[in-house]
Amino acid sequence: MNCPIQNRNPEALVAYTAGALDREAARALERHMADCAACRSMAADQAAVWKALDAWEAPAISPDFDRRLYRRIDREVRFSWWDRLTRAFRPMPLRQALPVTASAGLLLMAGLLLQHPGPSTRVAPRGEIVRANQVESTLDDLDLLRQFGAPDSAESAHPDAM
Amino acid sequence: MEPGVRTDMGAAAAAALDYDAELMLRVKEGDGTSFGVLLEKHRASVIHFIYRLVEEQAVAEELAQEVFLRVYRSRSSYEPTAKFKTWLFRIASHLALNWLRDEKHARGQERLDDVSGNLPARQISDRRPSVEQTLVYAVKLEEVRQAIAALPEKQRTAVLLHKYEEMAYTQIAKVLECSESAVKSLLFRAYETLRARLAHMEPT
Repeated sequence: MNCPIQNRNPEALVAYTAGALDREAARALERHMADCAACRSMAADQAAVWKALDAWEAPAISPDFDRRLYRRIDREVRFSWWDRLTRAFRPMPLRQALPVTASAGLLLMAGLLLQHPGPSTRVAPRGEIVRANQVESTLDDLDLLRQFGAPDSAESAHPDAM
Repeated sequence: MEPGVRTDMGAAAAAALDYDAELMLRVKEGDGTSFGVLLEKHRASVIHFIYRLVEEQAVAEELAQEVFLRVYRSRSSYEPTAKFKTWLFRIASHLALNWLRDEKHARGQERLDDVSGNLPARQISDRRPSVEQTLVYAVKLEEVRQAIAALPEKQRTAVLLHKYEEMAYTQIAKVLECSESAVKSLLFRAYETLRARLAHMEPT
């Protein structure tokens, strides 16, 4: 095809049909189309498409569209305030909570180990417990002696003397 | 842009650009009334644009709500680096195209499950037959819908922005995040397909 419009600037025909060409360019194209059957045909087809597309009207918008939107915005604004206030106290999502829980568990275990050290370090307290038992039994003996009184205690102290 | 094609969209449009951005900056400062003005101005075009992409009015409204909600959410970080409308339609086209991809995937799964081969409900879901509507008009409308629906996603979006939103190539390029020459090519191929399918139609 030798048509300069079809070869180099076919968009001009679309723009012409859409009314997007300025007056000078539109007149130049019309002069060209007077002699070019291909462009005339293409422009006519494009005009038919343009008109056909006009037939496609969108349905009416719901009357409560704005109300629904503002309700969502309102909810979001309120939520964002509440969100900021309660963020520190909210349970975390599982993915975030897992490492935090694991770290807390490790810290707890470390604390418990420090409070109740292993067997090697428990020798000394055991000695203390033994000593405490001895002190306890001595105190019991003293109480017993006190119950029997001093003379009886001498008897009991020497049973063979009876 | 080709010489002769109007690029400025008129002085009124240029003023409107500044006005929309100005309104959004007011929203950023906490002015809810300005958000209402923007909603009033762009509500219909956003819903209609999404409707022509997804072909379900309820879905279109739901996605449009999400568009305006995102605009509201991003008010604090808003910078008027592009036309407000371009930004708005970029959000709208992202949401609608993502929905279409998910829907296509879901319908693909349904088809695998459903061996009866029923037509997807979406094709007829929003047909609200009225007494005034003639059969010829209904057939024509269906033909137009099917012709547009058959276009590849990007071509379809470009046609909708060009035809119904009257956007210039530069603006469409920004919405689709591609070059202006890519938009020209998309539109040329899209209209070529549409001419082959719809040029026989008689105007009603």
